[in-house]
Amino acid sequence: MADKPQSLTSYVPSLTRRQTLKWIGVLSATAAFPLLSSCDKKTNIKHAQAAHWPDLTFAPVTTPGYGKDPSLIVPPTSPWPLLLKEDELNVVAVLADIIVPRELMVPSATEVKVPEVINEWVSAPYSRQQEDRLSIMSLLSWLNTEALQRSKQVFIQLSAPEQMTIIDDIAFKSAHSSLEFGKPAVAFAAFRRLVLAAFFCSPQGSKDLGYQGNVPISGDYPGPTKDAKAHLDTLLTQLGLSL
Amino acid sequence: MTNKSGHIIVIGSGAGGAMAAYTLCKAGHKVLLLEAGRDYDPKSETPMFKRNSEAPLMGASTRDKDFGYYDATVDGGWSVPDEPYTTAEGSEFMWWRARMLGGRTNHWGRFSLRFSHHDFKGKSRDGLGADWPFEYEELAPWYDLTEELVGVCGTNTGLDDMPDSGEGILQTPPQPRIPELLLSAAAKKLGIATAPMHRAVLTRPKDDRAACFYATPCGNGCSIGAAFQTTTSLIPMAKATGNLTIITNAMVREINVDDQGLVMGVSYVDKISGNTNQLDARIVVLAASACESARILLNSKSAQHPNGLANSSGQVGRNLMDSTGAWLGASIPGLRGRPIYNEDGHTANHLFIPWWGHKMQENGALDFPRGYHFEIGSGFGEPGAGVPGDIDGYGKMAKDAVKLEYGAYVGLGLRGEMLPNEHCYMEIDHKVKDKWGIPVAKFHWAWSEHELKQVEHGLKTAKAILETMGASFSQPLPDAKTAISKGGEIIHEVGSTRMGDSPSDSVTNQWGQTWDCDNVFVMDAGVFASNPHKNCTLTIMTLAMRNASWLATQLDKGVL
Repeated sequence: MADKPQSLTSYVPSLTRRQTLKWIGVLSATAAFPLLSSCDKKTNIKHAQAAHWPDLTFAPVTTPGYGKDPSLIVPPTSPWPLLLKEDELNVVAVLADIIVPRELMVPSATEVKVPEVINEWVSAPYSRQQEDRLSIMSLLSWLNTEALQRSKQVFIQLSAPEQMTIIDDIAFKSAHSSLEFGKPAVAFAAFRRLVLAAFFCSPQGSKDLGYQGNVPISGDYPGPTKDAKAHLDTLLTQLGLSL
Repeated sequence: MTNKSGHIIVIGSGAGGAMAAYTLCKAGHKVLLLEAGRDYDPKSETPMFKRNSEAPLMGASTRDKDFGYYDATVDGGWSVPDEPYTTAEGSEFMWWRARMLGGRTNHWGRFSLRFSHHDFKGKSRDGLGADWPFEYEELAPWYDLTEELVGVCGTNTGLDDMPDSGEGILQTPPQPRIPELLLSAAAKKLGIATAPMHRAVLTRPKDDRAACFYATPCGNGCSIGAAFQTTTSLIPMAKATGNLTIITNAMVREINVDDQGLVMGVSYVDKISGNTNQLDARIVVLAASACESARILLNSKSAQHPNGLANSSGQVGRNLMDSTGAWLGASIPGLRGRPIYNEDGHTANHLFIPWWGHKMQENGALDFPRGYHFEIGSGFGEPGAGVPGDIDGYGKMAKDAVKLEYGAYVGLGLRGEMLPNEHCYMEIDHKVKDKWGIPVAKFHWAWSEHELKQVEHGLKTAKAILETMGASFSQPLPDAKTAISKGGEIIHEVGSTRMGDSPSDSVTNQWGQTWDCDNVFVMDAGVFASNPHKNCTLTIMTLAMRNASWLATQLDKGVL
């Protein structure tokens, strides 16, 4: 499988097509591994010395928000300064494509610009987003410390399989109660929800999910399809219910 | 004698104010409408078809846009810039305001249920709260006229909690969706009926408003006029009479009286210049919202009205009520992975559960006096800043967990009647002023056992319905104190200038005319004598139409 990327292409928001192809080339190395490594729990060798979790603090983001009367027709494209540094954005991009890799015709997270959504999110001057920022930045910091402990390199410099051995230790619910991986696992779970939301909210992700609304209908609302009704009928029978 | 040369001034352009203005204009009277917020044009400002992915933070709620980026509310929400309010120690109260033409009608839920005969005479029945100064039969024809004008979809069900509308008034409601049908079947097994929700959403075109095309949330506003808001209906219709003048950014400071204590004018802050302007007034109709109207009255002190205008009873600001609210939802295993289709519909629940317990209450079978209804939340909604599902791992495994759960969640939203109590009221906080130097409202709040027992019953019922649908609960139900909404949170605040039969315990007579001042009327939800569970806006509009019609006849006869 793919070797460790020698020179990393930075995640550049709003990539040109050429850049996108280059970028995807780097990421596909990571994206190719999830199934392999997640099935291979034996790679979980004794590596980490002890539980660690960074004690980060950030000055509150005090830039104004978009205010109480923003244009709803043309929303601001850059409502506040973005805070993620290039190396942080790169890790976000790697993680985002581990969580949502390309599947046949369905694009990956970075292909629909999920890292930009995450950057906007963690940079926002609102309380929920600033809480998420602390959690996400702590996760990114933890990944580097863990990578240094295991392989003497920061996370982004690891080979894709090496990255996956760390991710496999924190990506599953079983890790939530673990002394060693509990905190990064909980932070990863929250980050994963955000990545999935950003993906499924995109036009391509929304299509992948199957959302069929937001189209004008002339005449009466048609209601459930035949398939949907047949499914309901079966369910009603199973539950001993009737309309 | 009233000031015959003065204006007929309506304060507020929301449900009550716009209906009052329209009714008066149509009857041939010149009206000057003051709106504290900016002008607002739904045709050019409504984000029709805009996706969450195009909005900052995937459209998520923030303190700037409490109901999400695209919510129609302008310069408002739970806080308004430069216009604070305070709460007493130990009280929690949330006050939703909008500072825009059309007020809160631009984003409201459009639920439009008539109050029934039970609702007007609650005190006569159980000794609690206050009766209204009339019966349902008095209001029924006005409900017909209002529903006809507004455009309401729904059906006549014959259920005791849902009085029928006149023949041909209601428009055809949209078909129920799958989760609503499943819920209906489960409720039926428990002896509880569901019914099509009545909503102020056109399913057939009316005047120059189009029928709903079943896309884009009503809460964002509706540029085609299908979802009712005064800015696409009553206000342009009133303008078309040639009798309406509107001043926006006009924040009323106080109502001024003459030596006899009769109202002679209104002073307002022009928010753009910051200047305070005076207007001569022949009639003042307050429709600034229950708490804002009470605030104006309490801030309008004079030698003749030392406790505030129209407050000889001491009832202004008292009897403040909201609806009770609670929520219980669950993932329904049988709905996981079900066939996907377009469930946007009119973007709110097509079915709901009306209160089914009137007979039980008559028989003393329930330990709480007033009823509630359930609104249903479900469906294949537009993806936004959150994802459902019991997610683990990454890649296909994680994505599939989201997809499996998509459209499987069903929630029941309780909306119930509360009774007025001595702990729930608003007053003026003389220590705090807004940017314009106007003393602000201060809220006091405490739910009583009546509401807590009702919510406890509601949670148990919701759980039983969801379990009958196949859900299981690993956690016990929250207690009612935890589950119940905060005061004001349901945005159904009413009662602060209640109407009644006597000047000693009410602020206005049955026409919304203040007992103390013949030429001051209240035509918002402040006049409600009780707060039935059925969402206040339809009744605000109905009362405003009825009472403004009465006012017009008084003007025509020269009585006022």
